[in-house]
Amino acid sequence: MKLKKDLVISNIFRIVSYFIFTIVLMIFVLTIGNGISYFSFDFFTKAPMDGMTAGGILPAILGSLSVLALSLLFSIPIGMFTGIYLAEYGGRSAMAQLIMTAITSLAGVPSVVFGLFGLSLFCITFGFRTSLIAGSLTLSIMTLPVIASTVNEALKAIPRTVRESAYALGAKKTEVIFKVLIPYARSRILTAILIGGGRVIGETAPILLTGAIFFSTALPNSIMDPVMTLPSHIYYISMAYGENAQWMAKGTSAFLMIFVLIIYGIAFKVRRKMNER
Amino acid sequence: MSDKNRPIIEVKNFYGYYGEKAGLKDVNFNFLSKKITAIIGPSGCGKSTLLRSINRMNDEIPVYHTEGDILYEGKNVYDSDVDLTVMRKKVGMVFQKPTPFPMSIYDNVAFGPRIHGLRNKQKIEEIVENSLKQASLWDEVKDELFKSAYSLSGGQQQRLCIARALAVDPEVILLDEPTSALDPIATQNIEVLLEELSENYTIIIVTHNLAQAVRISDYMLFMYRGELIESGATSAIVKQPENKLTEQYLNGKIG
Repeated sequence: MKLKKDLVISNIFRIVSYFIFTIVLMIFVLTIGNGISYFSFDFFTKAPMDGMTAGGILPAILGSLSVLALSLLFSIPIGMFTGIYLAEYGGRSAMAQLIMTAITSLAGVPSVVFGLFGLSLFCITFGFRTSLIAGSLTLSIMTLPVIASTVNEALKAIPRTVRESAYALGAKKTEVIFKVLIPYARSRILTAILIGGGRVIGETAPILLTGAIFFSTALPNSIMDPVMTLPSHIYYISMAYGENAQWMAKGTSAFLMIFVLIIYGIAFKVRRKMNER
Repeated sequence: MSDKNRPIIEVKNFYGYYGEKAGLKDVNFNFLSKKITAIIGPSGCGKSTLLRSINRMNDEIPVYHTEGDILYEGKNVYDSDVDLTVMRKKVGMVFQKPTPFPMSIYDNVAFGPRIHGLRNKQKIEEIVENSLKQASLWDEVKDELFKSAYSLSGGQQQRLCIARALAVDPEVILLDEPTSALDPIATQNIEVLLEELSENYTIIIVTHNLAQAVRISDYMLFMYRGELIESGATSAIVKQPENKLTEQYLNGKIG
């Protein structure tokens, strides 16, 4: 009797998980399948032409890459130092608790709110206007909690005796942290950075509000110029352009999807390598 | 160089507290130079606390505080002017589980000399080779020095940790149950190694394994509930324990 019940329940779990897998698969197959036929040499090497009906998405690719690079440039060091502070210096102090709470709540804030925050702080108060730097800073605030909390958890998960072995050799605290603990946790930290990066490149709302322009033919001349990005490009085309421009949105979606898949693929590979240790 | 049978570490009226609770009560003992001294006793008797108080490893535990003195070469390690970096260079430590660092075998051994400021490559190479030889690991790893330390077996990793401790040229090596995570053959290798090392180093080992303590140690401390119950030459204690508790422990009645 009990056996039969087990069988029913395990089948329910199986069906539900297959269902979810199918949905995920469909998203990938449909997006990539619908767009990949528009890939061509021109698509990756030219700017959009003739009212988004011809040409390619080069400025959006380069724009997205510069947003990614610039935002990681801010979020990696700040996130690392925050995580190190929490794990190694803060202890159970009120300050550390406060920072921890802030990080946790930051991770739950909807991205459009980040966008509005970036708009008011970076674009208006700091006077950056709609620009590469404002968009990158806004997105770096979004990845900050991911990196900081991963570094914190990764450092705290290191066995106490590894730390003590380094101290027992006469190492100073900074040597222990930077020569032993960070290398020990590097796979986990790298995974978090990659997943954060995958998120940055796909985020739409914050970049629309703070950094994106709907059309440009080249890379921005400075970080104060606005940029074209892949997600904002998709958004503008699907919202504001006619039927004969839609192919570009499909192609761009496919490219964005493949790009994110590759980043996540690397992240999973790094994590698998770490588990082997 | 220090002579044999000279007290190198003197523990005097030493108390160790975890918050309110006394983990060590009035311990007095002189550890002799270039001998193997084993600290034995049931779980929670304070043997690890005593060991970790010698190189002040327990400083990392916020609630831990001490009274009394532990002198290393006549100098109280708890004095405020003691440079922990220098003291720990002289008093090395090996832990229960092997703790290789996430780097190559070579870099693991070179870690200590490098943090103490050694830059000369040739000199570092010499130290790495000598330390690995002293830890009886050289022959097994000499062709794969730049492989990750994690590629070694558990017993090899533990010998690597001993080599790493030796590389900073210590006088004393503290070992906290160094073989409890190893198989019998790896354990035997470590025991042979410790006996060889006691020619040149003072060895203090905490062990749960009474047979091991009897096999390798010259002197023995038996601890019970934070107190040092009995100490002396291992052969004498094993033959005729003076204290009833020691006798019961040796006969497996407590522990």
